[in-house]
Amino acid sequence: MGDLFPSHTTASQLLAQTFDSEMERDNQIVLFGEDVGLMGGVWGHTRGLLRKYGERRVQDTPISEMGFIGMAVGAAQSGLRPIVDLMFSDFIGACLDQVYNAMAKNHYMSGGNVRVPVVVETAAGCIGAAAQHSQCLWGLFAHLPGMRVVVPSCPYDLKGLLIQSIESDDPVIFIEHKLLLLTKLGDIPFGGEVPTDRYSIPFGHAEIRKQGKDVTLVTLGHSVVQAWQAAEILASDGIEVELVDLRTVVPLDIKTVANSVKKTGRLLVVDEDYLSFGLSGEVVARVVENINTGELRKVQRLAVLDVPIPASLPLEQAVLPTKDKIVSAVHTMMSN
Amino acid sequence: MNYSLPDYYRTMFLMRTFEDMVLKGGESRTIHGELHLGHGHEAIAAGMAGMLRKSDALVSTHRAHLHAIAKDVPLVPLFAELFERETGLCKGKGGHMHLFAPEYNFFCTGIVGASIPAALGYAYAAWVRERDDVSIGVTGDGGVNTGAFHESLNLAAIWKLPLIVLVENNRYAISVPIGQVVPTPTIAERSCAYNIPGMLVDGSDPEAVADTMKEALDHTRSGKGPVLIEATCLRMRAHWEGDLDLYRCKSEKEEFQSKDPLKLVREKMLTKSICNSEQLETIQNEVILELQNALEEACLGKLPEPSEAFTDVFVDTN
Repeated sequence: MGDLFPSHTTASQLLAQTFDSEMERDNQIVLFGEDVGLMGGVWGHTRGLLRKYGERRVQDTPISEMGFIGMAVGAAQSGLRPIVDLMFSDFIGACLDQVYNAMAKNHYMSGGNVRVPVVVETAAGCIGAAAQHSQCLWGLFAHLPGMRVVVPSCPYDLKGLLIQSIESDDPVIFIEHKLLLLTKLGDIPFGGEVPTDRYSIPFGHAEIRKQGKDVTLVTLGHSVVQAWQAAEILASDGIEVELVDLRTVVPLDIKTVANSVKKTGRLLVVDEDYLSFGLSGEVVARVVENINTGELRKVQRLAVLDVPIPASLPLEQAVLPTKDKIVSAVHTMMSN
Repeated sequence: MNYSLPDYYRTMFLMRTFEDMVLKGGESRTIHGELHLGHGHEAIAAGMAGMLRKSDALVSTHRAHLHAIAKDVPLVPLFAELFERETGLCKGKGGHMHLFAPEYNFFCTGIVGASIPAALGYAYAAWVRERDDVSIGVTGDGGVNTGAFHESLNLAAIWKLPLIVLVENNRYAISVPIGQVVPTPTIAERSCAYNIPGMLVDGSDPEAVADTMKEALDHTRSGKGPVLIEATCLRMRAHWEGDLDLYRCKSEKEEFQSKDPLKLVREKMLTKSICNSEQLETIQNEVILELQNALEEACLGKLPEPSEAFTDVFVDTN
């Protein structure tokens, strides 16, 4: 095994380092978005790139998401490999037409004649920024055909899935949780050991973070950390949780989930995205389609209860699937 | 390059006849989908036709057939796509508003205004690669009121990208007359907001369009940044085939006869004794034969297998 990044490295520094080494490897990679140049990204995740690669490959854009994401589509069809920074996933409203009508569909509509290898990397999740700067929205992207939807939960996956995303010839929505970006490698209970050597993680391979026989807990993004902590508490109560980290929403590794459910008979889906018409319902439906009658005894979903994300901390916590709520949900599932 | 009037006429007549044949396909339900035809827009596409390099990109709109022809997209796969065949440009998945011919750097979008950001991307790619290719984003007068129009022209202007935005002003955004939705006398004058050249041209005159396009291409190709061109024209048919066109009055529709760009070019050639009517007829007969052969060949293509609907969603299939 080669060298590891030091444990005081933050995930956003790891992101910047990965962009850098990928741009060094492939000169067709360009990167643009709001505040990614001079400032180095609002998370510091593009720091140093403008100075190193110059203004043709790294650009601060005006606040014109429709314009610059459309630009990424045209540039990708022309053979470049753009990485576009959409500062917050909530801003998709300003550019959704280019994302779902152009980026996601052009390969299909052209009968495979054009390729659109764009990575839209965007920050999501709750850190107290309220209704317009906290949404996850992976369910929205996954509902619209033609995009890979990638949600790393830990630094190891952040690097490996980002490299896979950049190498992919398909459009990718790469969603980083803000709490992950702010985390130091040494402070996360899993996936904090990150090799400096290049590696990639294939899409569609869920990771079993903890093995257990009682409940299958399926989640993604920062909720994996919450679920991990909940599982530790539950373990002290004698309940064994099998924790499945989906890693990618499209493609969705339902096989790993279904196999776990066959073993435990209980399925809890935890999702920081909205509850209705989203990922949690989809996971349950697909599990049901992939197992035999009687193999699933209990199902529960824990997600944002169809309200906008409120600002004040107690209100925010009230709508989020927190560690405590996970513990309580599992207890309920085990008790009756 | 260096088209003469008979060359323009040939191209315009080909475009008109192509559209008439597509119209018949719609009427006979051989084409089951929506159609937006370009009758009255021919001089703009023909005026541009001889000016572009293969490596220049052109991103067109829902009214795209003429631009595809101007960009030398072969007629057989073009017909085949419109007639819904597996041998079509996009295997029957794109249809008439979503034509993609990357080897000719020709592309479309059916979303009004969305052609310009995509064209901006080709301009950006040319700039990154330090090539002197130009990208043309076509839109109608309806598209100029989208945010995409403003965002793209602003981006192109600040970075001096090789983008030409060509507005085909046919006076109507579907049914809404331009005077109701654009506060300035022209669209071209919006160029001053971006500190770039704005050019207004009579889009029924292919020679005038070619002169304007040459000036714009020279400017843009030499690295001086984007240009906004407004070419005025008439939309001789309704917005789409099936639109009853009840919003335009009779006197306005009568203009279609006197201002038909094909008629104007024909009259000019006869008046100036550039061609006689026999020579014109020869040109027309050659074009009709070429198109009939192309359509016949296109319709030999099979309709796609239903399973084709499930391919090409992703490049990487695993």
